[in-house]
Amino acid sequence: MRRWSTSQLMQQTVFVGPALFAYAIVMVLPFLLGLYYSFTNWNGVSSQIDWLGLKNYVTILTDDPDFGSSLWFTARFTFTVVLISNLLGFLIAYLLSKPMKSRNMLRTIFFMPNVLGGLLLGFIWRFIFTEGFAAIGESTHIGFFELPWLSTEASAFWGIVLVSVWQGAGYLMVIYIAGLTNVPSDMLEAAAIDGASGFQILRNIVLPLIMPAVTICLFLSISWTFKSFDLNFSLTQGGPFKSTESVAMNIYYEAFKNNRYGLGTAKAVIFFIVVTVITMIQVSITKKREVEM
Amino acid sequence: MKKWITVLSVVLLSCALLAGCAGGGKEEPENVANGNEAPPGEVTITIMNFKVEIAEQFNKLKEEYEQTHPGVKLQIDTLLGGDNYNTQLKARFASGNMPDIFNNEGYKQLDAWVEYLEDLSDQPWVKNEIEIAKEPMTRDGKVYGMPVGIEGLGFLYNKDMFEKAGITELPRTISQLEDAVVKLEAAGIQPFVNSFDNWFGLGFHNVNNPFAKQSDPNAFINGLNDGTARITDNAVFKDWVKLFDLNIKYGNKNSLTTDYNNASTMFATGQGAIYQSGNWLQPVLDKLAPDMKVGLLPMPISEDAAMNDKLFVGPANNWVIYNKSPVKKEAKEFLNWLVTSEAGQKYLTKEFKFIPAFSNIEVNPDDIGTLGAEVMKYIEQDKALGWHWSKFPDGAAQEFGASMQKYIAKKVTGDELLSEFQAAWEKMNTR
Repeated sequence: MRRWSTSQLMQQTVFVGPALFAYAIVMVLPFLLGLYYSFTNWNGVSSQIDWLGLKNYVTILTDDPDFGSSLWFTARFTFTVVLISNLLGFLIAYLLSKPMKSRNMLRTIFFMPNVLGGLLLGFIWRFIFTEGFAAIGESTHIGFFELPWLSTEASAFWGIVLVSVWQGAGYLMVIYIAGLTNVPSDMLEAAAIDGASGFQILRNIVLPLIMPAVTICLFLSISWTFKSFDLNFSLTQGGPFKSTESVAMNIYYEAFKNNRYGLGTAKAVIFFIVVTVITMIQVSITKKREVEM
Repeated sequence: MKKWITVLSVVLLSCALLAGCAGGGKEEPENVANGNEAPPGEVTITIMNFKVEIAEQFNKLKEEYEQTHPGVKLQIDTLLGGDNYNTQLKARFASGNMPDIFNNEGYKQLDAWVEYLEDLSDQPWVKNEIEIAKEPMTRDGKVYGMPVGIEGLGFLYNKDMFEKAGITELPRTISQLEDAVVKLEAAGIQPFVNSFDNWFGLGFHNVNNPFAKQSDPNAFINGLNDGTARITDNAVFKDWVKLFDLNIKYGNKNSLTTDYNNASTMFATGQGAIYQSGNWLQPVLDKLAPDMKVGLLPMPISEDAAMNDKLFVGPANNWVIYNKSPVKKEAKEFLNWLVTSEAGQKYLTKEFKFIPAFSNIEVNPDDIGTLGAEVMKYIEQDKALGWHWSKFPDGAAQEFGASMQKYIAKKVTGDELLSEFQAAWEKMNTR
């Protein structure tokens, strides 16, 4: 009796069980249900559900250019945002890890955009782009502000990129700062004494040592931007002419607006596979570059 | 021994946690059940309202209704119309928390919900319902919804600006409209205020024009569905592109990022003379520009004055009752009260400013505002065409809107626009 109750299995059940149970109910079960619906023609309401087999998947892959173009938009968007926001985040972190008077205040300022929600940010920036920029452009005639912001494909794309970078870089900065402060100062000192230049120190000592932070930052920013929804929704509504419609929005419209829940979940399943593959590749690549101290 | 105690206490705590959850879950149905069983004593009708414009007035109505109907409580949840409303409704449906009375636009929306709607054919108000409002909610001879009101869609215009530009006769054909627009521009007035930011105004309201002006719109839509009719070679659609051109040519700058709120404000503050909208804008105008003289123009697409001098009129939305609702009887009584009692009618016209869809309700034109009165005039003169977007296949209107935005950005030509419409219809229809 005693042995049984304190056995490994029993302990694991007791300690992990409740969390696993909650996870199963909240995450796994809906996922499996969604998987089931993706093979049906359910409209989200009706009690009539017909099994369609793979028909939804065939429709998406052969007869849905909109899904393809939203996937392509999301890929371009993710690539651009991940690149810029990580570079910027790292740069700010690097500068703010140097001794500076206003350091703490600046850190707070850069982190601030992240405290606001994406939906709110979208509405604020929408106003800045369409009203603020236009007003500045009118009085100063600087080309940048006179662009037709958000109403052409290119300006809408870069508009969203701008806001996402502005929002995300601060968060990444915090992670990079944490990574940078963990770099032991004796190593840096030793390198400096050996005559290494600032760039050499950064490249050969700092970067390898903060690889864990890079892994996390890349993972976070890839999965965030890939799933982006609220910012596109409030900033451009996917427009003009669906050119900034992210995959998440496409799925939402299909499932809830077009009453094609089955088709929408099928898209979500495909999207899930794409995101999983990409993040797994990324994590395995950056993991390899991490060094143990 | 110590280990054993720890394990035991953890198990007990976990159980307590689970039990707590279970207890919480159980309580709710009990409450609901109490609500059901309690004789007339105290029932609550939950109403999900889609019109933000009338949220305040609805609360006044609630107080009055609760006073005159002891034992019945109204709970009104107001949500913004369009996307959010339907998503919220689905969410509440999925969580088993359905409102007793909610809104349905009819046609395709009726398809989705019909099995959960109470048959209202035997209600006393059905016989007074005007013909144009019946069709969307009728299925196999049964009536499933009560129209909220009638709304008219067209070009709103600023009467003072027209006067200033020297336009004495209102345009009835497209060439007259062009003349008027040129005059407006010559007088230094921005002719059109365009809100092309959202697919809604484009894919629903604007596209309705060529659909409604078909000689038989329903036959045309059926033809599109079974492949015997095409948008691409339809003369009415080709004419409509000309009006759309006019709209774009004399429109405001950056119309693709001008949203509904911006455009409404621009029109109300005199930054433009003509604005595609409807009498639902009355409460907004009353607030922003109470002294503004405003009228409604039809949207002409050709030289045929008789055909073009018509507004698009349809039932704004419909009240429906959830057929598994425990307070069905009270809900029906409420809807009936709204359109048959004097107090209910007063709210409908004076407070909500709806044009009633029932022949037994007398309307004083002063109550429903200038725009409403103009719409009524058109209806009385039999110069009303219908609303057809609820018959489009799901998702087609968004595609229409996106294609029209492409056209505005000069990415496609007029012919390509129509072939994109055709392709969108076929794609959305077969899914």
